Amino acid sequence: MLMGNFMNTLMTRFNLALRLLWRDSRSGELTILVLALIIAVTSSTAISLFADRLQRTMTTQAAEFLAADLVIASPTSIPNEWLTKATQFKLTQAHTLEFSSVLIEHDELLLAGIKSVSSAYPLRGFLKTSASEYIAEDDAVATESIEHTGPNPGTAWVDNRILSALHLKLGDALQVGEKKLTVNKIITYEPDKRGDFYSFSPRVMINSDDLQATGILQPGSHVHYFFQFSGDTEALTEFNRWVKPQLNPSQRIMDIHEDRPELGSALERAERYLGLSSIIVILISGVAIAMATRRYTERHFNATAILRCLGCKQNEILWLYGSQFIILGLLASAVGCLLGWFAQELLFHLLRSLLPQQVANPGLLAVFFGFILGMAILLGFALPPLLRLKKVSPLRVLRRELEPLPSSAWLIYGLAVGIISVLIWRYTDDLKMTSLIIGVGFSVFLLLGFMVYGLLVFSRRLLPHLSLTWRFGLQGLLKNSRGSVGQILAFSITLVAMVLSFTVRTDLIDNWQKQLPENAPNHFALNIFPDQQQSFQQDLQQQKISSSKFYPVIRGRLVAINNTPVQQIVSKDSQGENATHRELSLTWAKELPEDNKITAGNWWQDSQTRQVSIEQKLAKNLKIKLGDQLSFTVGSQQFIATVASIRELQWDTMKPNFYMIFSPGTLDAFPSTFITSFYLPDNQKDFLNTLVKKYPSITVLEVDLILRQLKTILSQLTEAINYLLYFALMAGFMVLFAAVYSTLDSRIHEGALMRTLGANRSFLRKTHIIEFSLLGLIAGLLAVIISEAILYALYSQIMHMEYLVNFYLWLYVPLTGALFVGLAGCWGVRNTVNKAPLQVLREL
Amino acid sequence: MQTHSLNNINIILAENLCKSVITSDGVLHILSSIDLIIKSAESIAIVGESGSGKSTLISLLAGLDTPTSGVIKLNDKSLTEMNEDGRAAMRNQLIGFVFQSFQLLQGLTALENVMLPLELSGDKNAKASATALLNRVGLSHRLSHTPQKLSGGEQQRVALARAFVTNPAILFADEPTGNLDSKTGAYIIDLLFELNQENNTTLILVTHDQVLAARCQRMIKLDAGRIVSN
Repeated sequence: MLMGNFMNTLMTRFNLALRLLWRDSRSGELTILVLALIIAVTSSTAISLFADRLQRTMTTQAAEFLAADLVIASPTSIPNEWLTKATQFKLTQAHTLEFSSVLIEHDELLLAGIKSVSSAYPLRGFLKTSASEYIAEDDAVATESIEHTGPNPGTAWVDNRILSALHLKLGDALQVGEKKLTVNKIITYEPDKRGDFYSFSPRVMINSDDLQATGILQPGSHVHYFFQFSGDTEALTEFNRWVKPQLNPSQRIMDIHEDRPELGSALERAERYLGLSSIIVILISGVAIAMATRRYTERHFNATAILRCLGCKQNEILWLYGSQFIILGLLASAVGCLLGWFAQELLFHLLRSLLPQQVANPGLLAVFFGFILGMAILLGFALPPLLRLKKVSPLRVLRRELEPLPSSAWLIYGLAVGIISVLIWRYTDDLKMTSLIIGVGFSVFLLLGFMVYGLLVFSRRLLPHLSLTWRFGLQGLLKNSRGSVGQILAFSITLVAMVLSFTVRTDLIDNWQKQLPENAPNHFALNIFPDQQQSFQQDLQQQKISSSKFYPVIRGRLVAINNTPVQQIVSKDSQGENATHRELSLTWAKELPEDNKITAGNWWQDSQTRQVSIEQKLAKNLKIKLGDQLSFTVGSQQFIATVASIRELQWDTMKPNFYMIFSPGTLDAFPSTFITSFYLPDNQKDFLNTLVKKYPSITVLEVDLILRQLKTILSQLTEAINYLLYFALMAGFMVLFAAVYSTLDSRIHEGALMRTLGANRSFLRKTHIIEFSLLGLIAGLLAVIISEAILYALYSQIMHMEYLVNFYLWLYVPLTGALFVGLAGCWGVRNTVNKAPLQVLREL
Repeated sequence: MQTHSLNNINIILAENLCKSVITSDGVLHILSSIDLIIKSAESIAIVGESGSGKSTLISLLAGLDTPTSGVIKLNDKSLTEMNEDGRAAMRNQLIGFVFQSFQLLQGLTALENVMLPLELSGDKNAKASATALLNRVGLSHRLSHTPQKLSGGEQQRVALARAFVTNPAILFADEPTGNLDSKTGAYIIDLLFELNQENNTTLILVTHDQVLAARCQRMIKLDAGRIVSN
């Protein structure tokens, strides 16, 4: 009985809440709130789905992505004993080998990623090929065939790009090193293609039986070996346990049960940047939601006072409005999730060439996350203003001026900052980084806020000197200075992000290339074997091609500093971590290389061995000082060297540069290859042909080609980030509309009053155009100033390039800001111009 | 102060004026068959119960709203044939307003509020004229104050100065003392009539107050949208 009553009351109240919600939504009261929430949920669901699909691709299909159950990656071949052991464990084996090589056909050069595969490859998963060169994306599936083994000896399978770049057709011969192979299939899917830079080079897959004949592989060549195993889980575990202690630091074991293969670094960064961009969207939408809720709350003071008068308790008021917001949040989140689903499809499309070809299906959990996030954003940004309704006094029925106290600032900002922090932490997975972003972000916002506020206050002084229209326009902006500051910041932050991503994409690499000295080396030759060095050098000299010094290169890894393993010293994500995670190119030199400058210590004397000179930034990151003992491994051997000096070097000279240079004699025990760089003018490009044919094992890297590839990656990444920034821009407009609507009542009143006094509509329209265009103009100007400052820092501090002010930005960004914000703002207040002035009298 | 030269002509003429609105219960007639002639420099009080149509009548006469049928002429020009911007220009040239709730623009100072109608008509001497009129209403020490910093009486004096600054031919005053205490109200009314006389303005005053209405030359009584006595 009691329960029945309770349920009845609950239903009655729920019905009342629904009815009120229906009324408010019909009057357009909640439109901004809902739109802002949808934008926030759409962008974050898209990112969450995107990240989730990538992770699932990597984890659930790990076996396929390794093309085996267990893989040992190594820069050199592994001992035969290990393979024998695997056979004892009855494991099936395969191996692949990857390296870069320049291909030349029909006078066209192309840097390709060569992969030789043994006959058992792939142990898990499959390859897909096509026997037709011109496949439209739609019917690619129809013409694809599944392959459970790689190419036969004498044949090569290639990416479609190889054919188009080298003007080849299926059936043609392709020269790989010294061996001619027949191209008979096009690879459309390769299970274990890694997402790093090397895998952006188009693929040539050959049979490992042909490898020897190419003549490319020699001791000391820079190659990646992958030894693959599959079989019984127990046997694999046993084998793993047996082999793990024997691995040297440059070798890595990947087991689907223990390790998740890493995403390529470009993709991993993309995911992180996208995540952070989506936080900008959430933040700006949050501001719009808070502003819209504030207006909603203020417009409901009177109704609430009447409800209170009629006997509604405070908690009932909260329930009444709270339940409306929950319903609203659920609906908006559902729509946002749906749109997010479509948005992530587009994101995958934009980043398609950086991604594995086959991606896991989206998980429902990620959609659920979007849902939860929507409710959390609503809670964080809408609850504090909504709580004011609870405090409305019933006395307001008699005294309209009685306003409830605003919620405490701690609650308002605390909730919002809390939610944003959790999200940033989720994307960065690093507490220190999160607090840094929050700290710096908050300070920057505060500083910029004060700056804009100061500017607005200062412009008040201009008022007496302006014409009536301009005065009213500017006054519109000054009247609600805090709101204007919020809108200006929302737009300028978005514009800064857009300007940066646009400039980085279009200008950075071009400018860097332009600033290289004329005749700066434009080719690097690596993997030059000691017996080839002299003849290679002579060939260059005969053609009057100037080259830099030939430096010996030994691939090795820094493992310990003063006997402490480096992993314990470096923090995650620091530059130092990057340098210790991979093999470094080690060299030795008697003399200090040109363009290097000793900043601490001294260059060695002839007799000193086991000395090392380290590049200063790396030294700083790894906290290495003079006299420190550094332990390195090369293959399975370890040696120690003492830090004798710290060097500063210029990275953009296009000459070989090294983090670590050793004193002569230190590295004598290890096989080495040589590296050099040289300048080849366009009219001598043919010589490259001769060179590559004569020295098939040497890898020649064309700088232009690499930069072009880099540009493609960069442009895809920035395009994906820009795509999210459009959401931020939309959220910015929501802030604008929320701000406009929060002043709409007083604008309507003022408009009517002005017209009563004889102002015509065009006067009012002009003041609106001025007000909103000024807002956009200031936001644009601020965005250019911030962008220029960031770009200046990027150019001068990171790229060490001279920075030229981009005057177009100063023109276009503020004008675009003025145009779009002007149009949107005028649209938002269009009704204030058209409402009959009778309004003023009616209010009496 | 300069006075205008529209003496003894029919400054306001309304013929067969009707205003009705459509509600869910059918057509509601707010005003029916109003005929009215007001001569220049006349002072008229419009009285009647709440809902009798007083405010609607002056909003029609001032061109703030349009009638459902009928003709209104101000200074011999037909208001009913003008569009909204034409009526706005007419208001700026001919009409001054004083409202019960003062209706000052909150963001502007007292001086700026008074300058506003002059500036809208492009008067170069706006500042001097506005300052002079604010002196006249005794607010020379409050020029740079915004409405929030002024008392009710002071706000209504600013509103009076704003209404008279354009030297309007007609002044519409809607319950000008409704929001003021009786002492301040009396002071405002004295000021209103003084200014009215100085400017030779036609005054149309909506009021509940019979004493105030008696100070006008003529009284028009409305009941249920019709003129019951004139």
